[in-house]
Amino acid sequence: MNVLDVNNISKQFGDFVAVENVSFSIDEGVVFGLIGPNGAGKTTTIRMIMNIIIPDTGTVSVLGDHDMRTAIDRIGYLPEERGMYRKMKVKDLLRFLAELKSMSRRDAAVAIDYWLERVSLKEWQNKKIEELSKGMQQKIQFIGTVLHNPKLLILDEPFGGLDPVNQNLIKDILMELKKDGMTIIFSTHVMESAEKLCEEIFMINKSRKVFYGKLADIKNEYGKRNILIEYDGDDAFLNSPEILTKDNYGNMAEIQLKKEGDSQKVLRQALSGATIRKFEIKEPSLHDIFINTVGQEARKEAGNER
Amino acid sequence: MSGKIVAVIKREFLSRAKTKGFIIGTFMFPLVLVLIFSGIFIFGELFKPSTKVYGIIDQTGRLYSEFTDIQSDTLKSGEPKYRFFQVSAEPAGLEAAMNDLKQKAMSEEIHGYMVIPEDVVESRVVYYSARNVSDFEEQESFERSFSWIVTNMRLADEGLPVERIRSAMARGRVSLKSRQVTEEGEVEKSGGASFALSYILTYVIILMIMIYGMIAMRSVIEEKSQRITETIVSSIKPFELMIGKIIGICGLGLTQMFVFGGFLLLIIGYAGPIFARLGVNVPEVATFISTIHFTPTVFMFMILFFLLGFVLYSSIFAAIGAIVNTEDEGQQMQGPLMILIWLGFFIMMAVSKNPETPQAFWVSLFPLYTPIVMFSRIVVSDPILPSGAVLSLFTTVATIVVLIWAVAKIYRVGILMYGKKPSFREALKWLKYK
Repeated sequence: MNVLDVNNISKQFGDFVAVENVSFSIDEGVVFGLIGPNGAGKTTTIRMIMNIIIPDTGTVSVLGDHDMRTAIDRIGYLPEERGMYRKMKVKDLLRFLAELKSMSRRDAAVAIDYWLERVSLKEWQNKKIEELSKGMQQKIQFIGTVLHNPKLLILDEPFGGLDPVNQNLIKDILMELKKDGMTIIFSTHVMESAEKLCEEIFMINKSRKVFYGKLADIKNEYGKRNILIEYDGDDAFLNSPEILTKDNYGNMAEIQLKKEGDSQKVLRQALSGATIRKFEIKEPSLHDIFINTVGQEARKEAGNER
Repeated sequence: MSGKIVAVIKREFLSRAKTKGFIIGTFMFPLVLVLIFSGIFIFGELFKPSTKVYGIIDQTGRLYSEFTDIQSDTLKSGEPKYRFFQVSAEPAGLEAAMNDLKQKAMSEEIHGYMVIPEDVVESRVVYYSARNVSDFEEQESFERSFSWIVTNMRLADEGLPVERIRSAMARGRVSLKSRQVTEEGEVEKSGGASFALSYILTYVIILMIMIYGMIAMRSVIEEKSQRITETIVSSIKPFELMIGKIIGICGLGLTQMFVFGGFLLLIIGYAGPIFARLGVNVPEVATFISTIHFTPTVFMFMILFFLLGFVLYSSIFAAIGAIVNTEDEGQQMQGPLMILIWLGFFIMMAVSKNPETPQAFWVSLFPLYTPIVMFSRIVVSDPILPSGAVLSLFTTVATIVVLIWAVAKIYRVGILMYGKKPSFREALKWLKYK
């Protein structure tokens, strides 16, 4: 069953088109990256998933449920713009957030205890939010989104404002939650962190899809695939049909594979005649892919205008 | 009602009810009021008036004895209220006599002196000089006495026998006993007291509506400026959040109204007996309390109109909160609303003197002013219900329904709009958003 189905949604504010014909679906237990530069339409898309904004066209169904009123209690959402009631005590605030997710008092108490312990903020439970450091506030905010053990967790720029130690803590917690079967949508403009965490990617730019699919497929599809090889002996493998171009320096070569070229075939051919000291497949980063794809589009647009 | 709205109501109510300011405001205020009133009576006892001494230069030679006869009241202690002595202007002249009295007043031997000029019947002026001239009641009393004497003298000059003038004058004073016509018969009620009560109670309603309306606005602005809103509306619909907020804050206002109103009813009902049991006999207090026409019916309408007025205005305040980004912007935008409310207060003052004119009827049906003006009409007309009272409840509720619908739309868009404050026209466009 798909945890989330987003079906051709669009949203326009006045003359400004914020999201145009976006579709994707997410399987259970997947870490899904919604990536794109600032202002691309990520937050509007998430708000439509959360039913905070109603799409002009298209539908969203969460956990197979078209009625968002019931589905919403099974989602956890950490918005990018986030803050808390500064005068409230930590425990009261978490209890309030739990009540908003229809948790019973007893379940809430157990979950609050567990999570405060997990992020080592137990001693702070009776302090007011304004007495906490910024990092502590971020952690409280984070556990507020997972208290009710949601099926789907949506995190909009979760690492913004966190120090490396706490970033690691949150990342570890996310991996645990994923192992327990939680589906996680991870929205960010920092492509490096998306690349590390996500199995599937939806990249959005200027309110439209740029590409969407499994991370590995995207890299195959869009990446120029380069191999760096250091060898002693026969260089006949450099004539392999898998190879598009090559730069041979005698005992080191840089190879660019054809689109369907198989790096492993090249390696086997090389091993049959030479000693291999180093074999490195240089994968393109998401960032490179994005720049290439968006750059091409931009060039095309410029060409059309001319 | 969904549990989520209850959670919001609880939070809005408890997070404020627990603050020192609210507790002091609610329970200390009536106590402070009691302390002030007791203080006035205690100090009244402490600073008991003593006999005042006046010198009188009577150049006519005809008024002195009659005036001192009339002003022969005694104090509670049994001492005479005034002691007068006559000073003759003869040997050294008026100037010297006055100077002598001035000296005595300065040395606190006497309180002051009066000069009755020879032509007092024509000029109708008596000169009064004293160390302080703040006791206006005393001066009015002196004035009445002199007027009475001079009128007598004039009538006597016309040739009427003194005895007949005396008896006619003594029986000539008329007092107006005001009563209000009602279904159950006539009720004694004074115009001044019912006007004052309507003035005070309406003032309380307006104040409470403004204070709690602004709290509602600040609550929205806090969520917006602290970026709390999005977290909350990912669990609850903006409309439910708004309703929960209004109900929770309304609960605070109601709590205070019940404490104040209950306290007032208690005083009216039991202050007399309590004072009596304590052995304190202060007729002024009893008289004062008996003029307060604060009945349970008036109390009920006070609660009702606070409720209607609060929901009406707080939804507008909430919309302002949703449109602006900071408290400063909110203060600016609430200005016109404040002026509108105060205008209602001035209209109310005019209306409570003439509650049954067509103008009063129509203005009290104008929904924004119903909670203010209709309420004041009810207070001055109690126990009769003024015309249009029941109708006004329906028109106000209908207005609230339409207003909440519109405000909810503005609220929903506004709470997630950061950045530049939209113009009024832009905010109206939000009504059309899906």
